[in-house]
Amino acid sequence: MKDIIIEGSHGKNFIPNVKFIAETGVCELGGESYLEDTVTFYAKLLDWLTEFKETKRPILFDFKLSYFNTSTSKSILDILTLLKKHENEGGQVTVNWYYDDEEEEDVEAELEDVEDLIIETGLKINLIPLEASDDDDDDDDFDFS
Amino acid sequence: MQNMINTQELLDLYNLANNKTLLSYTGIFDGQILSVIAENIESNLAQNPNASRKVFKIFLELAQNISFYSTEKQTNSKGKVNGMGILILQEFEDHYSCSTGNMGNTEMLKEVIKKCETINILERDDLREYKRKLRSLPASAKGGGNIGLVQVALTSGNPLAYKIIPITKTDSFYIVNTKINK
Repeated sequence: MKDIIIEGSHGKNFIPNVKFIAETGVCELGGESYLEDTVTFYAKLLDWLTEFKETKRPILFDFKLSYFNTSTSKSILDILTLLKKHENEGGQVTVNWYYDDEEEEDVEAELEDVEDLIIETGLKINLIPLEASDDDDDDDDFDFS
Repeated sequence: MQNMINTQELLDLYNLANNKTLLSYTGIFDGQILSVIAENIESNLAQNPNASRKVFKIFLELAQNISFYSTEKQTNSKGKVNGMGILILQEFEDHYSCSTGNMGNTEMLKEVIKKCETINILERDDLREYKRKLRSLPASAKGGGNIGLVQVALTSGNPLAYKIIPITKTDSFYIVNTKINK
C-alpha cells in the first residue's frame, strides 16, 4: 500500500492536508476543506481506508481541521462510519479531534459538530485542545501496544 | 451606446448597494472568486473575529448553493460550469446581514422554502437532530450534504429570511438572508 500525502492549500479551493501512512496506520486530516468536488477528493481517502481495514491492523486517525464545509462533513461522516465498521470487526481504532480553543464561540460550534458525529456513528472521539497537545509530527511515536 | 448602462442607472445601482454595504457581488460563483471574497470577509471583519468566522462560514455555504443550484450558468475559462447570483454583505450597529439571490427552478425552490420553514421553527437541539437526519440521506447529485441551510441557521443562531419571486413559467428568483450578531 502506498501512503497518501497531500499538501493542503488555501487558494482557489481550500484543500486539506492529508497524511495517511500505510506502515504505521497513522492518518491525519488537517487544515481547511472546501472543495469543488468533495466526493471525488474523499473517495480516494475512503478507498485507502477500506484497503487498510483489510489488513486488520490498528488505525490512529487525527483530525486537525480548522475549517470544513457541510459537503466535507458528509465525507467525514463516511470516514468515521468506515472506522466504526473496522472497530466492529475487531480492529483497533483511535480517533483524536484536535480543536483550537482560543475562539470561544467558535469552539462551542465545533464541539457541537463533533458531538453530532459521535451520535451519528457511535464511535468514540477524543477531543484534544490544540494548546494542550504536543507539537505536531510526533504522531509516528504513538504506541499501539 | 444603447447596450451600455447609463450613468444614472449605474449611480442608482451604486446607491442601492452602498447603503451599509461592506461587499456586493453579482456574477459567476466559481471557486476562484469565492476564495477572493472569503478572504476579503476574513480581513474586513478581522476586528470582530467571532462574527468574522461565522460570516465566512455562512457565506461559503450560501455561495456553494448558488454555484450548484442557480439555473443561470456560466462557463469559466477552464470550461467549468458554475451558477450565477448575487451576494450582499451589510453591516449594522449590532449585526452583519448576509443576503444571497439566484434564479432557480420553482418546483425545487418550493422544497427549499419548506426546508427554511422547518429550520425556523426548530430549537437548536432539534435543528441539530434535523441536520443529522438530512446528513444520513444519500448525497445530492452535486455531492452536497443537503445541510447547508441548516448549518447557516446553526452558525448564525438567528432565523432565516427568505422569499421566492416567480420570474418565468419555470423559474423564480430566490433570496435568503441571515443576521450574524456582533
